[in-house]
Amino acid sequence: MASPTTELFTGIGRRGHEALLEKVQGSLRFDLEHDQQTDHWHLAISRGDVTVTQEDRPADCVVRTDQGLFDKLATGESNAIASLLRNRMTVEGNLRLLVLFERLLPGPPTARHPRPATRGRWRRDR
Amino acid sequence: MTGETLVRILDGNTFVVSNDTGDIDPSPSVPKGFFSYDTRFLSKWQLKINGEGLNALSVDDLQYFETRFFLVPGAPTHYVDAKVSVIRQRVIGSSFDEQLTVLNHDDKPMDVTVRMEVGNDFADLFEIKNVENKKGDLYIRVEDGALRLGYQRETFRRETVVTASEPATVDEHGLTFTVRIDPQQSWSTSLHVQTIILGAGGRDLRASLQGQHGRAKTQMQEELHKWLDQAPRLETDNAALETTYKRSLVDLAALRYTPLTYGGESVPAAGLPWFMTIFGRDSLFTSLQALPFVPDLAATTLRLLATLQGSKLDDFRDEEPGKILHEMRYGETAAFEEQPHSPYYGTADATMLYVILLDEYERWTGDATLVRQLEPEARWALEWIDEYGDLMGNGYVWFQRRNEKVGLENQCWKDSWDSIAYHDGRLPGFPRATCELQGYAYDAKVRGARLAREFWQDPALADRLERDAADLKERFNRDFWVEDRQFYALALDTEGRQVDSLTSNIGHLLWSGIVTQERAGSVARALMSPRLFSGWGVRTMADGEGRYNPIGYHVGTVWPFDNSFIAWGLRRYGFRAEAGCIAEGMIDAGEFFGGRLPEAFGGYDRSVTKYPVQYPTACSPQAWSTGTPLLLLRTMLGLEPHGEHLVVEPALPVGMGRVGLLDIPGRWGRTDAFGRERVEIAGRSTLRELHGGGPRPIT
Repeated sequence: MASPTTELFTGIGRRGHEALLEKVQGSLRFDLEHDQQTDHWHLAISRGDVTVTQEDRPADCVVRTDQGLFDKLATGESNAIASLLRNRMTVEGNLRLLVLFERLLPGPPTARHPRPATRGRWRRDR
Repeated sequence: MTGETLVRILDGNTFVVSNDTGDIDPSPSVPKGFFSYDTRFLSKWQLKINGEGLNALSVDDLQYFETRFFLVPGAPTHYVDAKVSVIRQRVIGSSFDEQLTVLNHDDKPMDVTVRMEVGNDFADLFEIKNVENKKGDLYIRVEDGALRLGYQRETFRRETVVTASEPATVDEHGLTFTVRIDPQQSWSTSLHVQTIILGAGGRDLRASLQGQHGRAKTQMQEELHKWLDQAPRLETDNAALETTYKRSLVDLAALRYTPLTYGGESVPAAGLPWFMTIFGRDSLFTSLQALPFVPDLAATTLRLLATLQGSKLDDFRDEEPGKILHEMRYGETAAFEEQPHSPYYGTADATMLYVILLDEYERWTGDATLVRQLEPEARWALEWIDEYGDLMGNGYVWFQRRNEKVGLENQCWKDSWDSIAYHDGRLPGFPRATCELQGYAYDAKVRGARLAREFWQDPALADRLERDAADLKERFNRDFWVEDRQFYALALDTEGRQVDSLTSNIGHLLWSGIVTQERAGSVARALMSPRLFSGWGVRTMADGEGRYNPIGYHVGTVWPFDNSFIAWGLRRYGFRAEAGCIAEGMIDAGEFFGGRLPEAFGGYDRSVTKYPVQYPTACSPQAWSTGTPLLLLRTMLGLEPHGEHLVVEPALPVGMGRVGLLDIPGRWGRTDAFGRERVEIAGRSTLRELHGGGPRPIT
């Protein structure tokens, strides 16, 4: 079974376009360490069109962490900005690209819409 | 409060709070120290000459980022014929630098031991009051001529490195210099304190990021001069107004900071000492206040908040797609998710204020490019209002935190726990729909419609937003109006009942335009009644309400920022005298604080105290208080963009004298505005008896 990380990046590559990144121009590379080796995911973004490769190419923003953490980011169990503040993940270059990429990461699996819990007690047409 | 004099210098989110000798010593109540990125980097910094502490002769604030202390050793009683004096000159920017000079006034050579005690606890700003239980490990290393203090918790690491330009003996608790000074000569050394936030490759995080280069003192000076040069020039014979205007521009420069997440451009941080970070609401309000003076602040605020706009559901962060953030922090508690500020989204107003600022920014600057660039974010913000703001599905904006552990209960500007109360003092359940949120929603929709029609070529959206806004206004005027007391309720509870306290929130309703013409007079009268108007300004909550307390944070104090928007609202509905009355009260109050209005001051009646009583833990300078005199100037001069022109309709209260504002930037290029006192505030002589010489409430 593919890891959450692989599923995330192949999903992005398959879609090829992200409405949330339509103003973004630039490239990111994720260096993910596991078992004494490093996997690379390279994303070239141009006006929302995203090309994903697994090449170790230069990028405007280079993110480094371990595969284990990134799997949790890919499922929403961990948070990218908190991981960065904790220095569990490091960034070089243009941090803004990572913050924008973070839009593509899911929220925690347990998160809920704020509405259902409170809805229906007092309606407009009371 | 300890009552001791505190000296503060700051540059963005880096600041020092020390006592008046320049020493930093532990203090549980006031956060003393050298802080950067929400972390304390020095908690002890004490200078001793021959084993003795020093006393201050004088302190000069040279720039917002630079201070000079003149000191002598010994107790105050016997320093009269001191043979030694000391000058400490301190600058902060990317690091903390102190030039230490010891002068020998004797006609004999002198052997002096100069000692700097150094220590740090690496407290997160959120745990200042209780730093005993740090989860990580502190370490100290004496290196070649340097003292390295550090803190490590898992991968999280912060360090303070102290070095000196002169040879020093370094031990784990400080640096010692043993020097001989010739008669009438001096000795000097530079102390350099570097902060390290460990990031990629074991280097400082900021060194690895674009646009995070530190600035030298000369560069900071140049930037300040440029900032002041670009702002409009005020010409007035009113000394208080002139002082507060200059103070505001300099403080606003000091409060700008460059967030890590945004390469190089700066936005207003909220306030010293607790809020030196980006707050959605504070940055938006401050940018609105400062628009006629420094419009670039609005542009960077809008861009930064767009980058960090919510994109998902996250209960811990109270995040929803399209929501504008509340607060961003960089400290240990945010990093380890003990606090949700990475960023935290628990605010119900910032998303609507975002749309309001974007529209107002275009009206002033004509920068259609930015409005088009930020179209997606503005659309998401507008969608948020209906999809997530309207929690109850009944067309109003509500709030209820999902983070029940450390989230904010009241997600409006009055965010303390007891601010939203019924007339009898009871607190309503959740969710709550406060009235000003409905006003902002209305304004955001009206303004969003203009943007959609004129810039996004989406007339269908514009029509829908206008219909929604009209519908909201009608319902609001039915559901929130307290018929027997003739004002708008503070909020609605979940059963649709009115939370019926009289509060300053109704002033924001005038600003938003949701008030019907026939009710505006009642609202203005309520605002200026003695129950709300203290003589200095409008209280957050009226005297006579169940929870009223003149020194309650949001239940009786007077907030300058609040008053500036109330004055703007009064002006919008034609209440020139009332707006002028508030402007005059605020500028008078500012005089008592050297032109620097604090976050809040006591709601005591002006005739009782004669001077404004500062709220005990108020932040100062605070961005939206700093922006207050600017918005009041706009209000008094009646500045309003109209097409490609700036309309000027001055209405200055008596006593304001002559006011000229030259080179106001905008879509017209640069233009001037002049006003002369004209507005008569009725019955002024009786008021002087009532309120000790200030403006009076209009009854």
